[in-house]
Parts: sequence; structure tokens; C-alpha cells
Amino acid sequence: MAEPKKIIIDTDPGIDDAMAIFLALRSPEVEVIGLTTIYGNVYTTLATRNALHLLEIAGRTDIPVAEGSHVTITKGTKLRIADFVHGADGLGNQNFPPPKAKPIAESAAAFIVQQANLYPGKVTVVALGPLTNIALAIELDPAFPKKIGQIVLLGGAFAVNGNVNPAAEANIFGDPDAADVVFTSGADVLAVGINVTHQVVLTDADRDKLAQSDGKFARYLCKILEVYFSYHHDAYSTRGVYLHDPTALLAAVNPSLMTYTEGVVRVQTNGITRGLTLFYNKQKRFGEVTEWSNKPTVKVAVTVGCSHRCEIGHGAAYGLIKYYDWSSLMNGEIPLMVVSCFTIHMNQQSRVAAVGEIASVQFLLQKSTTLRLTLEQLTC
Amino acid sequence: MVILHEMSKWFLLITDDSMAILMAFQTPELEVLGLTTIFGNATTENATRNALLLCEIAGCPGVPVAEGSPEPLKGGKPRTCDFIHGSDGLGNVFLPPPKAKKIEKSASEFLVDKVSEYPGEVSILALGPLTNLALAIKRDSSFASKLKRVVILGGAFFALGNVNPAAEANIYGDPEAADIVFTSGANIVVVGINITTQIKMTDDDLHELRQSKGRHAQFLSDICKFYRDWHVKSDGVYGIFPHDPVSFMALVRPDLFTYKKGVVRVETQGICLGHTLMDQGLKIWNSSNPWSSYSPVSVAWTVNVDEVLNQIKKLLMKP
Repeated sequence: MAEPKKIIIDTDPGIDDAMAIFLALRSPEVEVIGLTTIYGNVYTTLATRNALHLLEIAGRTDIPVAEGSHVTITKGTKLRIADFVHGADGLGNQNFPPPKAKPIAESAAAFIVQQANLYPGKVTVVALGPLTNIALAIELDPAFPKKIGQIVLLGGAFAVNGNVNPAAEANIFGDPDAADVVFTSGADVLAVGINVTHQVVLTDADRDKLAQSDGKFARYLCKILEVYFSYHHDAYSTRGVYLHDPTALLAAVNPSLMTYTEGVVRVQTNGITRGLTLFYNKQKRFGEVTEWSNKPTVKVAVTVGCSHRCEIGHGAAYGLIKYYDWSSLMNGEIPLMVVSCFTIHMNQQSRVAAVGEIASVQFLLQKSTTLRLTLEQLTC
Repeated sequence: MVILHEMSKWFLLITDDSMAILMAFQTPELEVLGLTTIFGNATTENATRNALLLCEIAGCPGVPVAEGSPEPLKGGKPRTCDFIHGSDGLGNVFLPPPKAKKIEKSASEFLVDKVSEYPGEVSILALGPLTNLALAIKRDSSFASKLKRVVILGGAFFALGNVNPAAEANIYGDPEAADIVFTSGANIVVVGINITTQIKMTDDDLHELRQSKGRHAQFLSDICKFYRDWHVKSDGVYGIFPHDPVSFMALVRPDLFTYKKGVVRVETQGICLGHTLMDQGLKIWNSSNPWSSYSPVSVAWTVNVDEVLNQIKKLLMKP
């Protein structure tokens, strides 16, 4: 087997962050060389505490935690914190005891730069929160974009509504200026937006199966998931939760699980659409030079691929990814990764795609079995 | 075929899109109350001249033409796209000046007066930047509620723009005005380029038009040439996207489209200036945002491509 990919997870735990961290620790393809923390689901101080706590739960206190920025890249202190999604403690209001370990002395940005210098081209940063630390790393070391292997980020809403407001997705909204720096930095960036993560739903039935598992992580997650489920029920009227962070993490673990398109992404940093991510695939030519001209391209996830077809309970017509399969979950070896497809959500996504620009629709049709299946269902 | 049951009174707010105007005059179910002009494809002044010319060509020289604002709400030189429509706005065919004159009233005055004269009966087809409509809304607070319907050609919904990746030209021409109109509470149908670019008149279609006995076929083929050549350069499309005729069809044959309702706002700052953003209503927001508490509008969501193209061709080829 190839040497595992070194990853740093930049995280704001966060219920789905916890899932992503556990997933990473159980994935032999990757070696977690550090966690760095950021505000978002909780304030940075609490994110650090939760990161240390989660490593304790996993018995991996050998992994260093570096605390990240408490303010945005423009020194903004008025942060949007999503405690109504994850609970006041960020982990489903369980009041876990404080962790014993402490974060390392270096800041998150300094740690990320240091590791990129130590293993040039070999480190992947998986960014699960606002992108302040990554932008600070770029500020700290202008050569960082070339030294970092890849930046896989959870963020943006590409050709769909956001989740903070109709324009913006939460992580990008958290620090739009930092996000624009990262997207235009020239680094190898892979963005996984909510247009993709909304296709990846953990249903009630899936949670029941988790609850029957003796796995350490499965048991832990079942405790903290309740708050996350009730938020989704109120906000989206669904009996299921979106697996944002696990999906982004899996994109780093196994890139072949998704399909990607490539183009320039810019972030709106002011006005009513502050935090909007706007993707330009370079296929249409414009009469004048635009803010997207002459900027480096990034990869944007388009669909989560259909590597297996599986059935999970009622309602899920086709399972999407089933990266970790049920048997190992039941054995308690694998924490969790059940990804199913809510037919209704797929319908909404593909409707959006269907009215989207012709080129990207063609891309979807060619590349995605999933979407083809859905379109067939829609048109019959 | 579904035909509008009653005589609808309506206005055309034009840039100088000849196709839609001539189609309107060819539709007996519609009474054209007037044309109002705006910058966009050409300057407002040129648009007025072209509107008067088109009324003459259509054999309706008595139709009032009211000149609109020469500049967007914010002021400044308007952006025109003579590289798409030719320096005269009519594909560089350089026609003689019109005989008729524009009316005294400004476009917004004329709009307010006509809509007050026939409350609840007037529909507007807006084919350019929305400055005149916004001015009418500002002039008369009851204007929006007295309109029967406004069909707007503009915006790019969950799709790339045509001025830049973020913005479509009509909205980009006056983003402040567009935001006023979309949030005015009027009964609005908006047809974005995500819809209009699904319909293409190919070189074959244009050839068919030229060969037809259509009353204005020759003239339209002439003025389309320049426009068609631009499409080849810009999009690699051998033919044209008939943006304005498609939105005209949304007015007379609304059944050929499906719609989604949602609040639409327009960005007026930053790199995404002119971006149209619709709240699809898929999520219940836990706090208020710039989309909260405005009335939804109807956004054209899908289109019956074949039938719309059929209808457009039929009208254009009508003797």
C-alpha cells in the first residue's frame, strides 16, 4: 500500500466535524498529522477544547492541536457562530469533561506553514470551517500555495442557495475575504460545496442502525447527533442530516468518489450577497476583462459518484457512496459512513442543474451516473 | 392553441429589440399602448429613434413613443453594447431617420399615467435595464399594485451571466433600478438568460425566415446578421439566442413555461454587481436576511423549447 497521505484538519467542531475527524482517524489512506482550530460552529477557544476532547475520545492524544485565529482576516470580531445547529458546546449539549491535553504553542497558520515546509507537496489541508487560518498561512509564506499538496475545503454553494441566507454558505460567509484569498491563491484547491453535501444525507433509519452498533465512535456519535437532527428537522423539514464535513473529508481520502469541474471561483465580500461563491468555467468568452479573468483555476465538486448501488431503508432509491460498508460498521470497526440519497433532494439539485448553463449540464450528464438516473426518473 | 381571451393592454419598454416589437404588432390579441425607450443595446436617444422607425415599419406610426432615462438611477454613462447590436443598435443597417416624433412626456410619466388610466389592465414587457420602471415606482407608490403584470427579460438564475460570470446585461445596466422593481410587490414574471439561451435560432432557421413571406422577414434577416456574427465569436454559436422574442412568448403564451416563486434581490456592490439571487424557499431561515419580508416573484424555471421556437418563427413569418 502507498504511504498514507498526510492531512491536517482545520476544524470548528461541530457535530459533523466530529464525524469527519473520526472518519479520518479510521481511514488507512490518510495520516492525520495535526488538527488546527477555527471559529464557525463554535468560537475558536471552544473549537480547540473540542478538538482535544475528540482526540482523547479516539485515544489519539499524540496528534497535535494548534489553535487558530479568533478573528477574521480583516480583524473582524463580529463572528457568526452556528451554536443553534450544534448546541452551545458544539457537541450536542453533552457537557463533556474538559480535556487534559493542551494545544501546542504555534498558531494554526504557523503550524500549517511549518508542516508544508517539512513535507513540501505532501500535505493536504482539509478545511472544514471558515478559511481564515489558510489565508493567514498564505500571508505568512507567499510560497505556501506552491508547497501545500492540496487544500480540500468544505465551502460554497455553487449554483444553489446558501445555508446562512439565500446567497451564502456558512463557512465562506464566516470569512469571505479569506475565502477569496484562498480561491485565487494558485494552490491546488478542491472545493466541496453544499450543492454536493446536500446530496449526502444520514437518515433516521441510518441513525437507528448506528445505535445498534457497539462501535466506540458509533456510540459516541449517537449521543451528540440529536441536536443536529432536530435542527435539520426545523430548518429543512427533513428526517435526516446533511453530512457536510464527512463528505469533504472523503473527497480528500478518496478523490474518485466525486466528479469535479474546473474553473475560477471568486467570493463576493460585500453587499447583500456577501459570501456568495461564483464559479466560472471559462467556456464562455466575455466582451471585456472581468474579475474572473487571469485568475488561477480550482476544482469544484459536482456530484458524489455512484460507486455502489445500495438500498437503505425506504425512500432512498439509490445509495450514493457506500465507502465504508455496513458489515464493518456493525462489527464496530468503522465509525460510520452511510451515505444515502434522498430522492427528493436529488430532484431539487438536478432541477437546478437542468436550468443551469448548458455546458455544466452536459458535464453532469457525461460524468454522473447518479444524475442520469435521477433525470431518467424525472422525465419518465 | 391557447390565445389570450381578452384584449390585453400593454406597454413595451424597449431597448430597441426589433424582433419582439414587430412580433407584438403582429399579435391581434394585444393592443400596444406605447413604447418607452431605454439605453442598453444603444443609447436611449438611439433607442427612441429606432422605436419610432419600427412603428413606421410595422405600419403603426401612431403608437406613442416616450423617451426614457438617458442614464441609470445612480447616474453616470450607461453601458451600451454596440459590439453586439451594431453602432446604430439595428445591426448597422443605417436606416433613414423616422418621420414621427417622440411624445413630450418622459417614459416614467407616461407609464404612470397610462397605468392610472387603466388600473389592473396594463401589462409591461421590459426588455432593457429597468430604470424607467423604477422611476415610475418612485413617482407613484400605487403604480406597482395597479399593474396587471410585468414580464422582465433579465437576470441569470443559478447560471452564468453574459456581461461577466456574475451578471446579465439588462440587470447590470441598472442594478439599483432592478432591485427596486423586483422588491416592488408588482406581479412580476422574470425570464433570465438561463431560459433564453436554451432557445437557439440556427442559421437554418434564419435562412428559413429570409425565404419566408413574413411581413418583416427581410428587414429582420438584415438586422440579425451583425448579431449572429457576434454569437459566433462569443459563444461559438452559429445562430442567435432570441432573448427578447422568448420573453415576449412568456407574455402571450405563459403556458409554455414553468415558474418557481421566490424573492429575488439584485446585488448593487462589489464584484458580483448586477447578480440576481433568488431565494428558492428550500430552507426556513433562523434569522432575517436581505430576502426576508419581500413579495415573491415568478422566475421562469423551464421552457418548452420546441414550441416556443415554433411560435416565434410562426409570428415572424406571418405575412
